[in-house]
Amino acid sequence: MTIHDDIDNYLAADLYNELSEQEERALHTHLIECAACRKVHQESKIMNKVLEEKFAREKPDSAFEERMLAGFRDRIPQRTASIAKLIVDLMRLRSAQIVAVAALLLALVQVGRVITGEGKAVSRDREYIALGQPAAQPAQTSLPSVNEVGALSKPESRAKEADRLAAGKPFGRGQVAASAGHQVETEDKKLEPAEAERGIATRSNIPTAEEAGPNLAASPDSALANRKLVRNAQVEIEIASFDEAVQKITAFANEERGYVATTSSEKQANGKLKGEIVVKVLPENLDRFLQKIRGLGELKNQTLGTEDVTKAYFDTDARLKNARVMEQRLIDMLKTKTGKVSDLLQVEKELGRVREGIEKMQGELKYWDSQVQFATVMIALAEKDLEEPATFLVKERAQLALYAPDVEKVYNDIKGLASQKVQITNAQLDRDYSGRVSGHVGMLIAPEESDAVMGRVKGFGRVENFQGQTERIAQGGRGMSENARTERDKVELNVTISREEQEQAFQQTSLQIRASSVDEKAKQLHALTEKQNGRVRSSSFSRDPNGREFANISLRVAMKNYPALMQSLNSLGRVENVSVQRQDRTGAQIEEANAPADISIQIYSQGNIVSSETGLMATLRHTLAQGVAALMWSLRMIGVALAFLAPWAIAIVAIVWIAKRIARARRSKS
Amino acid sequence: MMDANEREVYRAAIHGDRDAFEMIIRTYSRTLFAIAYGILQNREEAEDAVQDALIKAWKSRWRVRDPEKFPAWLCMIARHRARDVFRKHPTTPLSGEITEQIESEAIDTTSLDRQLHSALAGLPEVHRSALMLRYFDEMDYRTIENTLGLTNGALRGILGRALAAMRKQLRPALASFEQP
Repeated sequence: MTIHDDIDNYLAADLYNELSEQEERALHTHLIECAACRKVHQESKIMNKVLEEKFAREKPDSAFEERMLAGFRDRIPQRTASIAKLIVDLMRLRSAQIVAVAALLLALVQVGRVITGEGKAVSRDREYIALGQPAAQPAQTSLPSVNEVGALSKPESRAKEADRLAAGKPFGRGQVAASAGHQVETEDKKLEPAEAERGIATRSNIPTAEEAGPNLAASPDSALANRKLVRNAQVEIEIASFDEAVQKITAFANEERGYVATTSSEKQANGKLKGEIVVKVLPENLDRFLQKIRGLGELKNQTLGTEDVTKAYFDTDARLKNARVMEQRLIDMLKTKTGKVSDLLQVEKELGRVREGIEKMQGELKYWDSQVQFATVMIALAEKDLEEPATFLVKERAQLALYAPDVEKVYNDIKGLASQKVQITNAQLDRDYSGRVSGHVGMLIAPEESDAVMGRVKGFGRVENFQGQTERIAQGGRGMSENARTERDKVELNVTISREEQEQAFQQTSLQIRASSVDEKAKQLHALTEKQNGRVRSSSFSRDPNGREFANISLRVAMKNYPALMQSLNSLGRVENVSVQRQDRTGAQIEEANAPADISIQIYSQGNIVSSETGLMATLRHTLAQGVAALMWSLRMIGVALAFLAPWAIAIVAIVWIAKRIARARRSKS
Repeated sequence: MMDANEREVYRAAIHGDRDAFEMIIRTYSRTLFAIAYGILQNREEAEDAVQDALIKAWKSRWRVRDPEKFPAWLCMIARHRARDVFRKHPTTPLSGEITEQIESEAIDTTSLDRQLHSALAGLPEVHRSALMLRYFDEMDYRTIENTLGLTNGALRGILGRALAAMRKQLRPALASFEQP
């Protein structure tokens, strides 16, 4: 692109000194050559001048920057800006965020404290006002606010009281108690409520608030005292000796300016003592007191509780004041008004109602005062090894199974044992459809008779399965005791009677005897069994076609006779395949000698040498039968073959016959 | 490109250093004025626009991530602010009050002034801004390009065209101006 074409840019750059030396030279050369461009150049220069002039006027003045700064400072004030900046910068940091959250929480806590603190301050102010009035006129004022003096058992009021005591005014405990007792009647006599209330405070016959006064006043954090806090503690202690512990607790209570309110104890069957002591101590001393009684024995359990009744207390107090005002008004009404009798009665009635309310509220306040003034400690004491049993009861239980040939007789015999010391608790005789009889007898036997009775019962039959069970039951406790007595309880005996037959054999034997004449040997076996006092339970005889004979005999014999019987069996023949099965019933007490043993014996003979099936005639018969069978078979085969071939043969013959006839017919034609 | 010192100032300003920001105000308000004036063609309005732009910049300084872009960002804010103002009275950039002022200030050059004004108004915004930066701030091409965010060498054509366009429009008036 030539300079001429690009003259505008060149000229502009020239005006603003933005041309390189080379370009400048080239431009000047061109301007000399080109008239048109020269003219433009001229115009540009003039215009530049005009513009410079124009913009020099429009140019911001030298104070422009200052104005901008001033405007900026004005609109963004330094302070807030710096604070904002600080906050913005700080909030960028994680730690700052955490600190901020923590600070917020702290602030909330502080706010909460301030709120509760204010509450305290208010009540203190009230107290001050209340104190001011009685100090001025303590005797005759019946303003309800005076009430508060006594109600709030404050150090100040105690000090005042102490002064009064020092001044010689008799204010003995008994008198105070009396005034408290007569409070209801004295109400009408306008006894100053403050005194009455003080009566409540000093009501008890044990160390009173006055004595404890210095203690209370000494404690600097008496801010708590403005609140009505009921402190309670429950302690459970295991001690070695109950009486000693009670003495110690009483001593501790006195040390801590408290008193033992109630004591109760209970003697256990094993001679150990257990009980509960309620101690009242000043709330300030409660912790120290608990610390002390802890040393008495093993601390099992401790509960400490504080109940804040401030609100309820002052609510009731305020209501009481109102009720008093109401009462006064009603009294005035009664005095001044001379209206109808019915109206007066109405007022009287209302007065009664209000007074009732007042008494109730006073009672409530009294109760609270007593609760607040003294913390209640309930101490449950239990001597060590309280659980130790006093006696052991030995209970014996026996199970007896008897087998006897005649169940009913034994059953009746056992029942016949009943006497003063043997009581039949239940007796039962069962007979089922198959005629089997069994009996059950349950009895209680006096311990001294038990052995004799059991011996007799055992004699009635064969004893099987005698089970004795002895149990030691601890009475009135658990575990072991060296000192506990042991008593025997009645023995419980359960007898089951069954027929001998039903008894399961103690030992089962099975064997085979080979003998030539089975029948005879079976008879001999019967005789042998009889001889050994055994009984044959079943016998059977059979003979098979080969002439072999079998006799199956099962018999029962007592164990003591078993070996002799087995020995004698050898005389019958050769004894084979002996197998013995013995049932050892664990746990059962069995009289082995009399226990039954079952023996099942098979006596068998060899039979014929040649069986009837293998004789000559039999062979002939077999051969004939087989021959006939073969003939019949061949006949059947022939039949089959005929059936197979016959149709084809007939067809061929027919074809040949027809062919011959045709040939013959042709020949006869020609 | 930008020296470390300058960079540090911008960074500090972004992080809320008031002194740094005031320093930037000192350095840049003229440039911003030029840009605003280029759009508004009115000193007072331009000044207000710059003021507003500076306040806005301070308040939203945290939006700038790269300190190097701070000047360009400032210019952009000023431009937007000026445009906002301009849009409110697009047809009459001269209010009555200002006209009076101009008339009282320069009676003899009024007609030329007006022509200049209209010629300038006919130029595209960028051209105007470039001219203002040149005449008010006497910036060199390179700085103007940086300030306006133009590519390297583009300004030469812009200013060339701007001057040529104005020349054409003002030729009659200039001719009369030349003679005396």
